[in-house]
Amino acid sequence: MDPLSAALKIAGSGLAAQSARLRVVAENMANAQATGQGPGGAPYARKTISFVSELDRASGVQLVRVQGVGVDSSPFPVEHDPGNPAADANGDVRRPNVNMLTEMGDMREANRAYEADLQIMRQSRDLLSMTIDLLKGA
Amino acid sequence: MEPVHLFSLIDRQQAWLSTRQALVAQNIANIDTPGYRAVDAAPFERAMARVGFEMSASSSLHMRPAATETLSTSIRTADGWETNHSGNTVSAELEMIKAGDIRNAYALNASVMRAFHGMWMATVKP
Repeated sequence: MDPLSAALKIAGSGLAAQSARLRVVAENMANAQATGQGPGGAPYARKTISFVSELDRASGVQLVRVQGVGVDSSPFPVEHDPGNPAADANGDVRRPNVNMLTEMGDMREANRAYEADLQIMRQSRDLLSMTIDLLKGA
Repeated sequence: MEPVHLFSLIDRQQAWLSTRQALVAQNIANIDTPGYRAVDAAPFERAMARVGFEMSASSSLHMRPAATETLSTSIRTADGWETNHSGNTVSAELEMIKAGDIRNAYALNASVMRAFHGMWMATVKP
């Protein structure tokens, strides 16, 4: 596989991985207030994502892929709110362990990595067209 | 055929630059992969040093060593400016600088090739 096409493929795998990460961030943010169903029910647990680099045997380059989406096992903050339908016998409600600040930071980082991948893609395409342009007006 | 090997030299450098561009793409794609070590191509001079020229022989029946005409670029790990706590050594800024260098060199080579091709065509065209 010619290296510039490989570069496009690699950057594409990076875009896919970063957008999966953004999806997880969106899920976490949307469910930041989702308490459990029924009294004492478990609330939404924050999701985590991890990446792994993987050798693409067809082209011999290291692509990136999502290794898996896990669950954050940190404890849920407890809030005393007897009126809540999800409150247990003591009137305590367990809230999701989503920290908005962490999610925003994660989102920014995913955004930046996505932009870098896009930039590489744009540049690889420019290099290809520079070569093709040699045919023009010769 | 070509007295100065200009086009083949440019072709080799473009191949090397393309390989390097693919490695930059690989580093950027793996910017958040835990434990990933950044890679880079060995310098062009080193890759060129291994390209041999064919030996001339007085008869086509003589045995001659296989010429290594193609450029083989070796890849090595090249850590960036910092290592984060997961052991990832890619630094985005360094990769962007490399990408800029690659682009400049590629554009320069393409222009030189175009200029020489223009001269060549000037002698061929009536």
